[in-house]
Amino acid sequence: MATRTRESGVRSVDWLSVALVLGGLLVLYYVAPLASLFLSASPGAVLSRLGESSVRSAATTSLLSASITTVLATAFGLPLAYWLARAETRWTGLVLGIVVLPLVLPPTVGGVVLLTVVGPNTLVGEWAAAAGVPLTRSLAGVVLAQTFVASPFVVVTAKAAFESVDESLEYASRSLGKGRWATARNVTLPLAGPGILAGITLAFARAIGEFGATMMLSYFPRTMPVEIWVSFQALGLDSAYPVAILLVVISVVALLVLNTVARNPWR
Amino acid sequence: MTLTLSALETSYADFEFGPVDLTVDREVLAVLGPSGSGKTTLLSLVAGITEPDSGSITLDGHELVGRPLEARNVGMVFQDGALFPHMTARENVAYAGVGDDRVTELAAMLELRGVLDRRPPTLSGGERQRVALARTLAADPGALLLDEPLSSLDAPIRRRLREELHDLFASLDVPVLYVTHDQRTATALGDRIAIVRDGVVEQVGTPSAVLDRPENRFVARFTGNENLFEGRVTERTPASLRVRVGDATLRTAATAETDAVGVESLAVGSSVTVSVHPSRIELADPDAATDGGPNALVGTVTRWLHEGTDYRVAVEIGDGVAFTTSVRPPTFDRLGVERGSGLAVSVPPDAVHLIPAPAER
Repeated sequence: MATRTRESGVRSVDWLSVALVLGGLLVLYYVAPLASLFLSASPGAVLSRLGESSVRSAATTSLLSASITTVLATAFGLPLAYWLARAETRWTGLVLGIVVLPLVLPPTVGGVVLLTVVGPNTLVGEWAAAAGVPLTRSLAGVVLAQTFVASPFVVVTAKAAFESVDESLEYASRSLGKGRWATARNVTLPLAGPGILAGITLAFARAIGEFGATMMLSYFPRTMPVEIWVSFQALGLDSAYPVAILLVVISVVALLVLNTVARNPWR
Repeated sequence: MTLTLSALETSYADFEFGPVDLTVDREVLAVLGPSGSGKTTLLSLVAGITEPDSGSITLDGHELVGRPLEARNVGMVFQDGALFPHMTARENVAYAGVGDDRVTELAAMLELRGVLDRRPPTLSGGERQRVALARTLAADPGALLLDEPLSSLDAPIRRRLREELHDLFASLDVPVLYVTHDQRTATALGDRIAIVRDGVVEQVGTPSAVLDRPENRFVARFTGNENLFEGRVTERTPASLRVRVGDATLRTAATAETDAVGVESLAVGSSVTVSVHPSRIELADPDAATDGGPNALVGTVTRWLHEGTDYRVAVEIGDGVAFTTSVRPPTFDRLGVERGSGLAVSVPPDAVHLIPAPAER
């Protein structure tokens, strides 16, 4: 351990060095497995595995469902985020707690909870299935599971973005004769835009990676995380690598988006 | 154009506002009060940012209460300008949907031509307030509200912009409500001043009326008057009253001037608060002031302070009664003011204002 001798002769711990070592180890712990993953499969093996129809179908399902989820989370999440940011009532605390709940709930529990409402033997589930839109073992089921766990990211991040817009700017706009919608379009949304985009990107990334609730609700059609699990179970770790690599690439792209067009809330 | 506030009331968890009644014609009403007195609440109510619990606000006879901000035709200049940071100064001014000609005209009037293509974060505080003012005027409001627009500016810029605002307001033909906690700004810009405290209007009047004839001690203190003394009426004649203050006796001017606060009814023996605004007091050499005219008092300098342009001097005339006033440096030097030196205090009878004891708050 790094130490330093003070003039007094008392040896004291150099806490900055200690902190650097601890932090460095943690970063290494993040990077090493990722690097190792990319080294574990040859490019040829990855490409041939990615050519398989099951993998292609999983990628399609994931991208499609995560896109739909992101649109839904944004459409339903932004109004709620704005209300949470601006309303002056004690109910906001309670509602925010409910919004954050899916974030802290284990995803499998989220799946169980959803099954009690939209499962095949429930009123909603039976009705939807009769209408030709089964809510389990379907793309709709995947979207329901992803929306449950991913939409809070839109609400929480957009709420912070809306809060960062000084309310007096909205008052100024309205006192200049612009209505609420024109004010939102001209002032609030442009200023909160980068933060909102960050929330949307995070929700997309979370939806792409969603596994627990999806497993419970919709094993089929398989998303990429489910495909990784199935490959791992049936054929071993090696066959799971290529899909995992694809998923990592998508996640990194999402992070890049976050750092360029959006305002990374954690930067 | 007349802005009328009638029995306006609202309340928050820890603050009661009103009832407030005010009428603002084509003039500047400066709303003066300490922070937390309800000045900003008053503006918020008129602008439509908050709705009152009861009462009415009319502009030219049209009720504003219940109408959204965007339908009130009331312009507001916010404390920090509230400029849209993602737009240039030009886009800010044009926001209400005005043409290039109007933007150019306003830019010329407010000396903004050089900064129109810059964004608010790159503007100085004074420039930001000019842009904010131009943006508000561009919408051609039926009434203008200003929330301490000068408070965050440096003293020299504040003074200059205050002069410009004075000229600008004179050219406007709408009611102007100007909120400030600074007495100098209020007296400089207001055709009338409304003093507010704890959500109610304590006094409304012209600057000189409010300064010289405060209706209670709070108004006196808040308008910079430290000369408040407990006294007792000792004699009354049809033309004036004599009031005992400490060891001295002060004579007031004709009572008609002070009827408004009930001085007419003051009997001999009544307790009063004697108020003399510092600006009405003159200091003189004690030897030169032999015959002195009315209310020539002799005392001793107890302290003085150099306040930049003026000296603040306190002269005790006995029994703990000390008059404070400001003197210009030439006078200060001529009188040779120093602690302990003797000075004559000349108080014109019409500057002696009496606040009857029951009006005390």
